[in-house]
Amino acid sequence: MKLVDQSSQQYRRLWWFASRGFAAVLLVLLVTSILTTPGGLQNLFNGLAIGGVYAIFALGYTLIFSILRIINFAHGAVFTLGAYFTYFLTGSAVGFNGLLANQQLPFGLPFPIAMIGGGILAGLCGILIERVAFRPLRNKGADPLLTLVSSLGVAVAIVNVIQLLVGAEIYSYPRNPFGELPAALNLGTFGGLSQRPVIIRTIQVIIFAVSMVIVVLLTYFINATKTGKALRAVAEDATTSSLLGIDTNRLILITFFLSGLIGGIAGTLVGLSVNVSGPYFGINFGLKGLAVIVLGGLGDIPGAVVGGLVIGVAEAFVPSAQVAYKDAIAFAVLFLVLLLRPQGLLGRAVVQKV
Amino acid sequence: MALLEIENLSVNYGGIRALQSVSLSVERGEIVTLIGANGAGKSTTLRAISRIVNARQGRIILDGKDVSRLAPHEIVKLGVAHCPEGRRVLARQSVYDNLMLGAYVRRDAAGVKADIELQFKRFPRLEERRNQLAGTLSGGEQQMLAIARALMSRPRLLLLDEPSLGLAPLIVREIFRIIGELHNEGVTILLVEQNASLALQHANRGYVLEAGELTIRGNAADLLKDERVRQAYLG
Repeated sequence: MKLVDQSSQQYRRLWWFASRGFAAVLLVLLVTSILTTPGGLQNLFNGLAIGGVYAIFALGYTLIFSILRIINFAHGAVFTLGAYFTYFLTGSAVGFNGLLANQQLPFGLPFPIAMIGGGILAGLCGILIERVAFRPLRNKGADPLLTLVSSLGVAVAIVNVIQLLVGAEIYSYPRNPFGELPAALNLGTFGGLSQRPVIIRTIQVIIFAVSMVIVVLLTYFINATKTGKALRAVAEDATTSSLLGIDTNRLILITFFLSGLIGGIAGTLVGLSVNVSGPYFGINFGLKGLAVIVLGGLGDIPGAVVGGLVIGVAEAFVPSAQVAYKDAIAFAVLFLVLLLRPQGLLGRAVVQKV
Repeated sequence: MALLEIENLSVNYGGIRALQSVSLSVERGEIVTLIGANGAGKSTTLRAISRIVNARQGRIILDGKDVSRLAPHEIVKLGVAHCPEGRRVLARQSVYDNLMLGAYVRRDAAGVKADIELQFKRFPRLEERRNQLAGTLSGGEQQMLAIARALMSRPRLLLLDEPSLGLAPLIVREIFRIIGELHNEGVTILLVEQNASLALQHANRGYVLEAGELTIRGNAADLLKDERVRQAYLG
């Protein structure tokens, strides 16, 4: 008995060293290849900017998953909604298709406020989704798989309603949304590290900064506020939480609001970078978000952030000639990581409770 | 008027009858114990009071108010704390945060802080481990944390489910010493225990549950002498 214990412990320690060692080697290889590839640093910065959005978008999935153990397939649609809400809040007009053709709000908000407003409206849509697609099934004790399907149904419905109301054309945000800023920053060659000067678009800096601010605020909320701690309690054990006087349904609503809020802001940020490309804007993004949370470890907040940045950077290194393979890269990275760490980069191994 | 009154409570799990027409009462300041074999419905009774299982029929009256249709968190607000079977501490949060969550329904921050110190005085082991994750505590320490956490809401009625389960005899004695201490402080307790003799030694009154039905009731001292109870539960 004792012998078995010892050898399994030794095996575990060996495995620990081997996996850490492997990770370290990979990291060194990665850093040297970034520095030696022409335009490596450029790619790194590009990757971090989009990776930041992947991260906050994936956090929306993560929040709901950690509480309900269900993937909210409508999250990509909420992302799309946020992007559209922001567009209309800036006072821009609907195009010439759809029921609302050529309509516009009688006022226009400055872009940063419109972005927050768009996020809040997307958050309210999140609450609506919980009330329509999640809670009724939960109250009936339905299998989580059914809820998954109903969230998928909501996603399809949202996409179609958007198309019905505002058509399927591409929408672009107003020019210079943040006032007269230079279009790009020249960071120089980092003392010769990079052969070419590294140039990043101002928008990319803003996207990354907004994403990281959201990550910090959310981390603070979850770990340091009373409601955040209650949220973690519900995520760990909902029944016991209700025995402590926590209204679990209310906290689930808060979670859906937060998820929608950051999802909507993520939609706006991507819209800033590449335009809002139509009602299906969030669908492709939604799939990639799934890759991010699986990569980082399901239900793990730091994992979602790391996963988002890793996938963003990995994609940025796809040479422009092979840009069609960009999405494949994200899933290839996912596949490789899962082979080595089935629980995800930062996820805990699932301990079977006896 | 009794603090807690249960009238004809029946609970089904799926198609299976877990409780059948159970009626009992708990007076202010009492320790009342529910004893019985595994699966007799002891925990189910407590869960029905806390509303984490639905009753098929019957009423639960707390201090004259029918609470049988309230949500679990509303029951806690009315002053019922449930210390569940298997302790159920929040393993991924610190001892201190577990206690803070126990006071979730309270709004008096200063009083909560003072009560945490009070619990630390009652359970010095918890103070030593205040910043440790609750999941790293030993079984006995987790049970102490679960009781302390339940007390943090300043309950009028404490539901204790199997506090001695799986603990070493020394720890069990310590837990029951504290139950006695709480009784002296005037806390009303409904205690579910498999260790019938210990429970009856500490309780004022007792009920015996068999296959979902109450069969014997009486003063704890009488039950300890009752031939049927002795044969079935006291060995």
